Amino acid sequence: MSILVVLLSLAAGAYALAVIERWAVHGHLSLTGPAWAALALLGRESLLARKSDRLFFELGPVLLLVAGLMAVAVIPLAPGLIITDLATGALFLNAALAYVLVALIMAGWGPNGAYAMIAGWRFLGQFIAYAMLIVMPITAVAMRAESLSTVEIVASQEQLWNVLYQPMGFILFVVAAMGLAWLPPLDLPDATGELAGGVEAEYTGVRLAVLRLARMVIILALAGATVTFYLGGWLGPWLPPWAWSAIKILVVAAAMLSVGRYMPRIREARYLALSWKLGISLALANIFVVGVIALVVPI
Amino acid sequence: MTLVGAREGAMSGIRRAVAAAMARDLPAFVLPGPSVARAMGLDLSGSHLRLVGTPRHANLLIVVGPLPPGLRDAAAVTYAQIPRPRAILALGAGDIAPLPDADVSAPLTQAGLHSGLADLRRVIAAGAFRADSGEFNAPALEVRVEYTCPMHPEIVRDAPGDCPKCGMTLVPRETASDGHGGHGGHDMPPEDRSNPADHAHAGHAEDAGGAGAYTCPMHPEVVSDAPGKCPKCGMFLVKAEEGESHGHGHGHGGHGHEHGSEAHGAHGHGDHGGHGKQQDHSGHDGHDGHAGHGGHSEAAIDGIEPHFMSMVEMTEGQPRSSDGLQMDWIEVPFGPFFPGLPAGLRLTLTLDGDTVAGSEVRSLVGRAELVDGPQMRVADFVERLAAMMPLSPVAYRTLACAAIEEAASVDPGHDARRGRAAAVERERIASHLNWLAEFGLQSGFLWLAARAGALQLAVQGADVAGIAAQAGAIRRLTRRVQAAPLMRMRLRRIARIGKDTPASGPVDRARGGGSDARTGDPTLKDLGFETRVRNGGDALARLRLRCDEIAQSLDVIAAAGRIAVPQVPDVDRVSGEGAARIETPRGAAQLRVKLTDGRVVEADLDTPSDVNIALVETVTAQQELGDALAAVASLDLSPWEVRG
Repeated sequence: MSILVVLLSLAAGAYALAVIERWAVHGHLSLTGPAWAALALLGRESLLARKSDRLFFELGPVLLLVAGLMAVAVIPLAPGLIITDLATGALFLNAALAYVLVALIMAGWGPNGAYAMIAGWRFLGQFIAYAMLIVMPITAVAMRAESLSTVEIVASQEQLWNVLYQPMGFILFVVAAMGLAWLPPLDLPDATGELAGGVEAEYTGVRLAVLRLARMVIILALAGATVTFYLGGWLGPWLPPWAWSAIKILVVAAAMLSVGRYMPRIREARYLALSWKLGISLALANIFVVGVIALVVPI
Repeated sequence: MTLVGAREGAMSGIRRAVAAAMARDLPAFVLPGPSVARAMGLDLSGSHLRLVGTPRHANLLIVVGPLPPGLRDAAAVTYAQIPRPRAILALGAGDIAPLPDADVSAPLTQAGLHSGLADLRRVIAAGAFRADSGEFNAPALEVRVEYTCPMHPEIVRDAPGDCPKCGMTLVPRETASDGHGGHGGHDMPPEDRSNPADHAHAGHAEDAGGAGAYTCPMHPEVVSDAPGKCPKCGMFLVKAEEGESHGHGHGHGGHGHEHGSEAHGAHGHGDHGGHGKQQDHSGHDGHDGHAGHGGHSEAAIDGIEPHFMSMVEMTEGQPRSSDGLQMDWIEVPFGPFFPGLPAGLRLTLTLDGDTVAGSEVRSLVGRAELVDGPQMRVADFVERLAAMMPLSPVAYRTLACAAIEEAASVDPGHDARRGRAAAVERERIASHLNWLAEFGLQSGFLWLAARAGALQLAVQGADVAGIAAQAGAIRRLTRRVQAAPLMRMRLRRIARIGKDTPASGPVDRARGGGSDARTGDPTLKDLGFETRVRNGGDALARLRLRCDEIAQSLDVIAAAGRIAVPQVPDVDRVSGEGAARIETPRGAAQLRVKLTDGRVVEADLDTPSDVNIALVETVTAQQELGDALAAVASLDLSPWEVRG
């Protein structure tokens, strides 16, 4: 039952994100736009590039979707409303999202096109930038909750949300999450002005529809993770828990989708340098500070 | 009503719903490009179009204005890349062959765009699917099959048969119909591949079978015509297939939009020239040279895992790029319709990993002769020059008028000169805003792309009051662009140009150079003009200088008080020679004309893009791909200005 509810809300969330993305990219807000676009995509030819690596080409988008769905499985929307409450939920989320890298490289290599291939390898570089900054802030969150269970992590924020308890971790996690979901200004693998769509460049028709849907699910999963780890999950006054989850996840996703509109894309080399030199130092400092607070002030 | 590019299938049931959805959601790819459309006064941002960056994601091709002949082949390739059902909307385009006839044609106006789109939506809703959909083959992608002898490459026949020298059976081989077109199959839907592209490769394997077909995976210099073991390491020799490297030779030329179609098989390693010309010989001569690279490509060696060998072994002795890493070199074409590069520019980058190892640039537009025919009426000449430069028509119109007045010794008068100066400055604002919009598109700064594009359209034909009304918004935009997060990081130290390299216009003034045709002009001095200069010489300095110039031009227009696009001077049967120099938005342009009996008989034009296009190689060398593209964009080239 709860699986069905979560999947239905996931579908609704993905649609809402598509509406927001359309606004962020093309500047018009249309509630029905994505529905028409999706239906139109289903009717278009789904081309297979010549000499493509068929297996990788077909599997890339599907694997991306699977990775997103697995990540969603450990996001609690309300007490009891979660697909599976694993004892190692936070770690599982991280493991599931590792497949994003594999899927993108497959999708980049598969069609045998230069733009897509460069885009796939670019994402491999990007992985080196974001990977540590996903894991290290989660470590600090788990330290406070004394558990890797996502439900426990939400419960641990009853007194004070983690965004205030460990603001540095919050910022690092959100930036890394945007890198993982290749959102502007960290959209190196599908940079329209540099690679004409990059990984997506050779996908058309139904395959493109799957790829786009998978991307929305990934973004939702990451917004859900941000809410779970830092914004108190379903916690909040007056409204029912599921409503708080929905509002928070959509607001975070909308913010992640639209912030890139107001700045140029980052340079790949700078991104890597900043992530390692600055990001990892800050993440270590964050773990240390959270450790000290957790020992000294028990909240 | 039927659609030329309909998808095959009966129009029934759910397809009707899908067709209705397609009519509502129109992802469009614009030719020659959104910047050219804006410069022609067309606002594409409304009308519920979604402009996309690749034809693969479009279903509508919008052709704006007359398409220069040099771009038409590439346009046909772009069309071939759009998945069906696909449609063409031609706005004042005239002849667009080899593209098929436009599904809807309309005049090049905002009203034309709206009525054209409305018509097109009806056509798509009614005819997106058709039982007998026709095929479209872009001429640049067509391949021809010819037959050649495996032993005697000089024997080439159109039909199968035996070699007159040795009696062997001739083997088929595919070549591009235009001499350098390339493999087409990749760019076409699977069902279009009725051409014998597929068995051509089998032919190659046989071809190679004649001599030196076996090679050692570790020692490419070991070549044998029979299977066996390597004398150096004892490994079994494997069959080397010529198909991949051959494919590379043809793969890239002539493609319109994007596809480095043979990317995985493309192993240049410094002998690119040889690869590119391979179409003239059977592949034998090239064979030894390529055998070593064969190991890279997926299907190159039977029975051996593609990445069986270490990179160290494979790249031994190959050239090394500045970052010290050795990678496969691939040649990737960008343009002429690449989002984020000037429309009409063909940039071919040889990439070593993601670093640019070499670049080649040319304008596919190619400016034609100014005087066509023995002599031209003065009015025709002025209109022709203005029409040739869609990105800055007013500046070139002013230039033509000034040169003719000089030749005829006519003085336009003080007021006219002020009005003209203001008109050119107005165009400078619009042009720099257009550049900002393009930069926004390239760098994913979409707010900038939308805002600068809208302001450009508002300024372009405005009078002094109209510009004054927008001045505040424009100044705010230029401040906000320079202060945007990540902006400094994006452009600083990119595309540095030293003092000694020839450069024109903002590119020169942004490195402390003083070249400006406006310096010393008494009319402009009167209006409070001073030459603006920035130091730094990088892309950031260029951005800032253009923002400075926008502000300065706003002041000049306010001081001038009137804007007057020059009228064609009235010269009656005069003879003489004259020259004029004007600072166009991209730099100084100079025109010399010779009049005989009131007709233009000779004209010679120097443009800033002629000078600045030579900088492309310098600014892209050893740059990361994203930086190289930002570097080219920072030069603000107009392919229309470049000599053909």
